This record gives sequence, C-alpha cells and structure tokens, in this order.
Amino acid sequence: MDFAFGPEPCMAIGHDILDIGSRKAQAKRQRGALGDAMSPAPLELGMPGQFDLPNVEDPARYCRTNFASVCGTGDEHQAVKFAKGTTTLAFKFNDGIIISVDSRSTMGNYISSGTVQKIIKINPFLLGTMAGGAADCSFWERNLGMECRLYELRNGRRITVAAASKLLANVMSSYRGYGLSMGTMVTGWDETGPQLYYVDDDGTRLKGRYFSVGSGSMYAYGVLDTGYKPDLTVDEAIELGTRAIYHATHRDAASGGINNLYHMTKDGWKFIHAVDVNDLHYKYAEEKKNAMAT
Amino acid sequence: MMSSTTSTFGAPLMRHSEGQVVLGGSGEDAVFKPADYPGREQPYEHRFSPYDFNGGTVAGVSGEDYLVIAADTRMSSGYEILSRNTSKLHQLNPNAILASSGCKTDMDQLRSVLDIKSKIYQHNHRKSMTATSTAQMLSNTLYGRRFFPYYAFNVLGGIDAEGKGCLFSYDAIGSFERTQYSATGSGQAYVIPFLDNVIGNRNHTEEKPTLSKEEVVELMKEAFVSAGERDIYTGDALEIMVMTKDGVTKETFELKKD
Repeated sequence: MDFAFGPEPCMAIGHDILDIGSRKAQAKRQRGALGDAMSPAPLELGMPGQFDLPNVEDPARYCRTNFASVCGTGDEHQAVKFAKGTTTLAFKFNDGIIISVDSRSTMGNYISSGTVQKIIKINPFLLGTMAGGAADCSFWERNLGMECRLYELRNGRRITVAAASKLLANVMSSYRGYGLSMGTMVTGWDETGPQLYYVDDDGTRLKGRYFSVGSGSMYAYGVLDTGYKPDLTVDEAIELGTRAIYHATHRDAASGGINNLYHMTKDGWKFIHAVDVNDLHYKYAEEKKNAMAT
Repeated sequence: MMSSTTSTFGAPLMRHSEGQVVLGGSGEDAVFKPADYPGREQPYEHRFSPYDFNGGTVAGVSGEDYLVIAADTRMSSGYEILSRNTSKLHQLNPNAILASSGCKTDMDQLRSVLDIKSKIYQHNHRKSMTATSTAQMLSNTLYGRRFFPYYAFNVLGGIDAEGKGCLFSYDAIGSFERTQYSATGSGQAYVIPFLDNVIGNRNHTEEKPTLSKEEVVELMKEAFVSAGERDIYTGDALEIMVMTKDGVTKETFELKKD
C-alpha cells in the first residue's frame, strides 16, 4: 500500500533533474511522515513533531468534548482535568504598561497550586500573561519566545509586539475547535511605543488600552474602570493594578494566592512586587478603618 | 464521538470501571434486554475508554541539598487490587527521578519515551541531562500528546546544577512548576494538606523550621499512613528514594494491606 500525501514534488527552476536522491527522500518523507496505525511514524528527535490526534471520525469534536481546558465546572464529566482558572489584567498609561496577575491554578475543585507564575517573560521587552489552560499558555508562549528569537536572528532587529501577537493568534486559529483554552495578553515596548494586544484561543486578536482576562476579570474590570486615568503616576498605577487583583481574588473562588506585578517601560519590563493577597486584605481593611475613623 | 461497536455478551454482565452509557430509546443498538437483567430498567451499551485509572499516590519534598520522593506500590482497577508491589518511581538519569500515578500503561509508555530521549541526549552531548532540562523535556513530551493525553500525573525530582534539591509537579498535559513539595494521584487531597501544614508552614505564625532528610522521610511515612487510612487506592507498601549529590538510596516501608 503506497500512498502519496500532498502534491507531487514539482520541477521548480533550479531543481536539478539529475538529483534523484533528494526527490526520493522528499517522497519518502511525505509517505512516512504521518505513519499509520500499524507502523507509527518514527521518533525523529530534533525535528519539529506533529500532534497525534485520536483515531476517530471527528477528532476536533472528540478533543474539545473530552480534553478541553474549560473554566469553571464545564469539565466535570472529563476523566482528566487540566489546570486553569485565574485573573490577569494589563493597562496602558502614560508611563508604560502595568501587568498584574494572581497565582492560583485549579483542577476542578482542587487548588493545584498557589504559586503559579502567570507572567511569561518572552524576552526582556515582551511579556505574556497566562489565563485559561496552564499548559496551553505556557507551551505556546514559550514557542512564541522561540519564534521571536528566530525573528531577531534572521532580521537583525527585535520583533514588534504587533507581529509577535499575530504569530500567536495565527497558531490559535489553526487549532480552532480542538479545545485549547488560552486568553493571553501580549505586551511590550517597541519602536512604536507601548503596545498591548489581547489574544484568544479562537484566534481573536485585539489591540487595546486595557484588558482583564480570566474567571475573575469581571471583578477586576469594576475596579479598573473606576480608577483608570491615562495620566496616573507610576505609584498610583501600581496601586490600581494591585487593588483590582485583590478584589478579584476576594470574590472569585478560582483566583487567589499572590499578586505578581510588572511594569513595562521603554527599557524593558521591571518586576515590581509579589504580595500575598491575604496580606492585602488586612492592609486595606486597616486603611478603611482609619479612613472611617477620621 | 468515538463510534461505538455493538458488543455481544453471552456471559453475565462484566463490570467495567468506566461505567456504562445508558441508551434511551435506541433499542436496536442495545444487546441487553431489560428482562435478562432484573433491576436494570434501561438497556446499556459498553463504550470503550482508552483510559483506566490504576490509582496510587506519589509525593516529593525537596530540601537544601537533598530530594525525597515517595510512592505507594498498589495498583488497582475499579475495586480490585491488581498488584501490591508495582513501582511508581523511576530514575531517568543521575540527576532526576520520575514518579507518576494514573493509568499504568500511559505511565509505562511515558517512562519508555523519556528513557529513550535521555539516552539519545547522553549520546549526543556526552553528559547527562540536568534536572531542570529533564523537567522541560517532560513538559514538552506531555504537551506533544495534547490531543490525546497521557493519563499520567507526574512529579519529577532531582538535584539541580547548583546542588540544591528541586521538585517539579505537573498536570496531565505538561503544565509544570518548580515547588518545594508536592503530591499527586488518588491520595493527593489527603497528603498535600499535611505537607502544606508541616513543610510549607502555611498559616503558622512561628518560623519555618529547616528539616533534615531523615526528618522528611519520617514525615513522608506519616503522610502515606494517613492517606492509606482514607484512600482505598493507597496502601500495601511505600517506596522512598532519597537523592543527594552522592547518589540515591531506596527504602521500602510496609503500609496496611486492607
């Protein structure tokens, strides 16, 4: 049984008619790359692999029904639950971008970790946030980091935030319908200034002034919408970012842990703080009591 | 959905750990007549599930210069115990030990694939993989099966390049994090709160004590004894491996067999 997958190798200009070896190798690669049930494709290390799909009529439907990273309780029927749940936010202001996240990850009802790093450092001038499926976010953002580095090496200059977010959005588009779950914000400072893009698992890519993503995003938006002004000072902006996350973790069960905050400046990102939201609770309660007393 | 195959059963109904799918109204597909099985009002259809849950608990604690990783040795399926002495711990290279629980076939296959990758790395680079590299490799291997996951919950422990103990906990598709202590498997919810309290010193006001590896080994035994009391899939025996820069020691501790 001899199948040929894909188009026949064509005779391009410069394609040596006597180079039978290359054509044979190409044909063999096309035949053997996918493999079949009886003789699976050999493990070639160092070569980019392909994702195995379940051997059913509609793999996309099977995957999103059984292996999806769904937020809340949508995955109760699944045998295997994946880590997710979160609140992340980012906003642009005159002095850069503030990125503030929580650190809880849940698997069904179980809190699998209270110390997840939801801010992924793609390079010294690009940050990505993680919301949705933890593995999906960390894998694809790490992949994005690799692509950004390759871009730098090939082109001799740093990639723009628009291009980086586009690369990620295209990947998400191509896996649309397979049950991936990722809501990320790609932020950076390139030659056009501070940029903030929201990228989603269905290929949505939006440029904006501020976003909040995750199960606790509604609570964060409430605080963010109230306190946001483009001419905030850096300290006020940090305080706004902290407070928004605190309120989200207070009300959303799937958010909590530690608030990690970064500030994106024209010299790159800067780590600001990692504060336990429990401590913030008592700090704000104290402030409120003092404010009411005076 | 996966197309279901109609199955013919001459023998009495075999209990399947994945359960049965109840068919309402598609009487043609169902082979079982309600009258044959008194007490069952609706016809059932068996659906093949590629996964089975074989149970077991796995835990690890990393210290200043040591790593303690432990796993019970019971393998079950449904309400049956299939084996009382299967090992869930596996040393991948001189710097890392993998402990996994979940579906035994997926654990074994994952172990084989990682062994092969470790060996090829060793041959290509003439050195063993560091623990942090092994951790990333495991994450990528798991994500490579994002659309048909390995049903294996892993904890990877080792000694990192600076000589400090390190521990990484994973979910089924490769999301990982370096932590000081971790537990996974059927008894996760019984072991982790204990470790949070004693090792993480969570919600305590006094100073966090530094523990020696002997103390940690004793704590692990306590943790598994408690887990075995309340989790049916944990018990029989406990294997503990302690890794330092000088090597690995293994100890077996008997647990209750009920």
